[in-house]
Amino acid sequence: MKNIQSELPIFYETAHAELASALEMLAACKGTDTPKQALGYFMHAKDEYMHAKCFFKMLSQRGIKVSLEKAREFRFTPPSLIIKGYISNKGFLIDTMKLKDFIAFVYTNELLAKSSFENILNLVGSDTDEGKIISSIMMDELRHHGMAKKYFLKNYPALQPWQLVMYRFRETLQNKGRKLYDANLKFLDKILTPLYKGMAFVAGNMARKLNLNEFKREGKNLMEISSKSIL
Amino acid sequence: MNLKEKGKILWKFHLNLSFKVSSNFKMFIGVSGYNHESAAALVDKNGVLIDYYREESLSRIKGDKSFPRRAISKLLKSNNLQIKDIERVAFYERPLSAFLHIVKEASLNMPRSLSLLVHQFRNFNRSSVSCYLDFAKEFKGLETKLIYSDHHLSHSLTALSYSNSKKDVCSVVVDGFGDRSTASISQIVNPSEINELWECPYPVSLGLFYSSITDYLGFSINEGEYKVMGLASFGDSKSKSAKLVRGLMDWDSTSNKIISDMSYFDYHLSTSNSFNSKLEDLLGPARNPFVQLIPGESDFQRCADIARGAQDLTIYLLQKIFTHAHKITRSRRFLFSGGVSMNSASIDSLAQLPFIDEIIIPPSPGDAGCAIGAAFYSYIKSNSYIDLKISKPSLFPSLKEIRNDEFLTEQIIFNQFSILEKDEDDAFLKAAELISAGEVIGTVLSRSETGPRALGNRSLLCDGKNKDAVKKLNTVIKNRSPFRPTAPAMRYKIAKKYYRLRPEIYDCYQSMSATCQCLKDNVSLKFPTTHVDGTARIQIVENNSSLDKLLSILEPMGVEILANSSLNVSGDPNSFDLVDGLMVCSRTKLRYLLTDLGLLKRKT
Ligand SMILES: [Fe+2]
Ligand SMILES: [Fe+2]
Ligand SMILES: [Fe+2]
Repeated sequence: MKNIQSELPIFYETAHAELASALEMLAACKGTDTPKQALGYFMHAKDEYMHAKCFFKMLSQRGIKVSLEKAREFRFTPPSLIIKGYISNKGFLIDTMKLKDFIAFVYTNELLAKSSFENILNLVGSDTDEGKIISSIMMDELRHHGMAKKYFLKNYPALQPWQLVMYRFRETLQNKGRKLYDANLKFLDKILTPLYKGMAFVAGNMARKLNLNEFKREGKNLMEISSKSIL
Repeated sequence: MNLKEKGKILWKFHLNLSFKVSSNFKMFIGVSGYNHESAAALVDKNGVLIDYYREESLSRIKGDKSFPRRAISKLLKSNNLQIKDIERVAFYERPLSAFLHIVKEASLNMPRSLSLLVHQFRNFNRSSVSCYLDFAKEFKGLETKLIYSDHHLSHSLTALSYSNSKKDVCSVVVDGFGDRSTASISQIVNPSEINELWECPYPVSLGLFYSSITDYLGFSINEGEYKVMGLASFGDSKSKSAKLVRGLMDWDSTSNKIISDMSYFDYHLSTSNSFNSKLEDLLGPARNPFVQLIPGESDFQRCADIARGAQDLTIYLLQKIFTHAHKITRSRRFLFSGGVSMNSASIDSLAQLPFIDEIIIPPSPGDAGCAIGAAFYSYIKSNSYIDLKISKPSLFPSLKEIRNDEFLTEQIIFNQFSILEKDEDDAFLKAAELISAGEVIGTVLSRSETGPRALGNRSLLCDGKNKDAVKKLNTVIKNRSPFRPTAPAMRYKIAKKYYRLRPEIYDCYQSMSATCQCLKDNVSLKFPTTHVDGTARIQIVENNSSLDKLLSILEPMGVEILANSSLNVSGDPNSFDLVDGLMVCSRTKLRYLLTDLGLLKRKT
């Protein structure tokens, strides 16, 4: 049980990541200029949806076995894709990045995804049913990586393969940075929570005295209340 | 070309441009978001809803409640508008009021509510309070045109726009929580005079009660309420569980107030728990969301009885609210909106109240639909009363894709699909033949629905009397919970043969907003689209709609009823454009897709 409980976050987060990739690819499909690229992104999105489905299934197989409290904690709701930062609230990558950077991003991320799956594969064992599924997902990621690489080299011939390695290096660093930042944030959060609570306690005590009767509208014509007021 | 000619052309161009801008001028935008699904609506100077998008349709994230950046952008882009063409933008609620009501309630329950308070203060910038800043950041200039409507007023105006008469009608709004209250009754004298007469103050809330039971039963809040409603049909009102749930809220007839024992609920105190251990002590343990609920299996009956209790209580309280509304307004015509009005299983009993002549429910009665009401609010606020003309919006309000679907999907279709019929009439005929032969087909036709229900343009369809076909649609393609019925769609003259229709809610049948009883001893009781309790959530198709056309071909073939479900994979929003439809086809076992480009068949 304890083991399963510690696995929950891994499948939960991976399912988020895969679904987010699917949505990014679908957005790229709709945002691209050529029918050929649209097809490429469409097929990629389809793969990613399938990956997400597999990880959601693995998540729920573990979810049935844990305590109700844990199960509720790891229940997926789509808006958490944004809340957890898997989809930026600024928009999809295709809309916010230069095309070249977007392709390079796909190129490096597919490889990073593949390596993160290696860890999960170790967890579930490579000869289990789940292991086989994960292995085939890893093949998909390699294929996606290859496609992005091919596209990149064809459309930006002035760039050399070593430059792609640079991209990868940069992205890996950023990824590590993100993780570090996340860890720092969590640490900071732990320290600050009592402070936040203290502040909320003080603010709450002030809020208690708020008189919200002014908000009452009984008998009033709602169309005549000032349209400029946020109260 | 000489200079003179160039000058002429430039002048013409300028004329064109100025004509365009002046003709577009005076557009009104309404926006909802942050608390529930976000959306944006566009109303023109003649009071016509000309475009509408839910953010989830574009982001593909179901229940997306973030600032509707994509929806607003698309409104502007698709309609060739610039910021200067917009006269006013209305936000659907008063942000600070919404914020303070939650904080005040939580502050009365410290220290239990401390985590909610911390969350409120820390996420101040993500609440609707920041909507001004979001406008300023994303659509510079629009923030200066921003005005605010009351939450329930936005609901009322949305509903009012769908009513044929815009005067002397009573609006009932029941939802989770708006910016002040959780239910209200208003008398609409005319669009400029809407008097609020009664409210149910937060935190007592029929909507949040229903959501808490949804959560307790292991379904997601804001998504699983439909499942609870479907589950209720399997429950027994006389069971102990149902009676216990039924006792959690009541109507006090001396004070005319809804009363609720809040000690069972935590939705006003916590960000993560809507109910607490006291409710579990009362009803038994809550259900693990990962465990599938299957009829006949252990614990199914207890869950169904609990759902039944929640449904009984909802119907009882709604009847009380409507009766009170009639008492204080003397009105016989009602608008009904807010999330709770999506409870289609309660509408039939409301229609039977003796004083009801008509109930209008907008096709999108939840907060996403509020964007429409907010847009009309800014329209009404900008026009004098005599000039007001609010047109009844279409059930299919989103503009057709400007971007050429045909161009963009050319390679996808060429690679993954074959085109069986290109001509529209041939495609419809072939689709009808497939349906009558027991196939399931998807549709991506013309403009998309307001939501949340698919009415034929973004649907999965099959012969509604064919058990195998309906089963295939529900299980093989959609993976729907086995206790949720599929809706039957038909023309009016067919519906009369099978169902107990109520003229008071005729409009509701067009948008699938109300269930109805099968006629006594009628063959319809055996239809696979009929629920265990002998009801069906029917759709009477609108004249000249895609489904009307399809049924006109199908009826002579002996297919009078279509099973109609949304074209999506469960957990996703309904399809919005052709790419979404093609994706559903590619991800599921669906093989046929009826589109504006013809009838497509997925290559195997
Ligand atoms: Fe993947
Ligand atoms: Fe991938
Ligand atoms: Fe609402």
